[in-house]
Amino acid sequence: VGTAQMHDMLARITRGDGLAEDMSLLQDLADVMKSTSLCGLGQSSPNPVLTTMRYFKDEYLAHIHDKRCPAGSCPIHTSKPSLEEAVR
Amino acid sequence: MTSTETVITLKIDGKDCAGRASETILDVARENGFPIPTLCHYAGLHNIGACRLCIVEVKGTTKLLPACVTRIGEGMDVTTRSQRLDQHRRTIVELLLTERNHVCSVCVSNGHCELQALAMAMGVTHVHLPYRFPALKVDASHPRFVQDDNRCVLCARCVRICHEIEAAHTWDISGRGIEARTITDFDDAWGDSQTCTSCGKCVHVCPTGALTEKGRSVAEMVKRRQALPYLKTFQEQRS
Repeated sequence: VGTAQMHDMLARITRGDGLAEDMSLLQDLADVMKSTSLCGLGQSSPNPVLTTMRYFKDEYLAHIHDKRCPAGSCPIHTSKPSLEEAVR
Repeated sequence: MTSTETVITLKIDGKDCAGRASETILDVARENGFPIPTLCHYAGLHNIGACRLCIVEVKGTTKLLPACVTRIGEGMDVTTRSQRLDQHRRTIVELLLTERNHVCSVCVSNGHCELQALAMAMGVTHVHLPYRFPALKVDASHPRFVQDDNRCVLCARCVRICHEIEAAHTWDISGRGIEARTITDFDDAWGDSQTCTSCGKCVHVCPTGALTEKGRSVAEMVKRRQALPYLKTFQEQRS
């Protein structure tokens, strides 16, 4: 379930639906997976998430708080405008 | 088991303990009164270390080791409870709860469920991760029993007891990761199974309401395990 939950959470963040607590949840989840997984996949799959959270934390925060993707590669940009933007 | 087996001494939560070389950390810890939570472990069946709830800290390794499949070693220094372990175990229970549709209030095993008891004992008051609500099947084709994938935690007790004790090997697990499910025969309906002997052992070892007797309503399914300690003796005689 760990990897599935992690994937869902990352997908949510890239869609621009990330919540402020997702960062700490993601960190906790990655720690649990890394230290308790049975197989090598479970032990190593959190690594890219952990390292990107360490070195590109500002990008995660930009997705969650400012709803924008600094690298311009996330579906945030292609998603339909929010209700506020649509009526403006 | 031979009488010449070496005795190994180790420390569990600061207490000096001794065990036979073939024993696991879980065996020795429970003999000495240290409760380690488990879900997939079942006395008499082989341990597979699937649920990851029995994780313990061992001095000298940064990894957490599953107590049920880790043999004791001379001079080991084991910690069975710590803030880190409690936190990890709680997250594991939360993950199990999010994986399937564990709705206690309408479950036949409500009040007699090991997952529910564990969550209560660990103080899981909230689930922080979103529920996945997968659409899973309920197989009521067997005349006496019902299989509900929605409540399954994939502990594989049914698979092991069917293979190791009843020797029918009706149950198995298909798929991997999030796709994993318990199946009968070649994913046939349970009622059509050619191998099932309808012994019902799988139903009574199941920790949750995934395998139940037919005709039970909410909270009515109490698992009967009185006969099952014999299995352990049987298992020991074979090994």
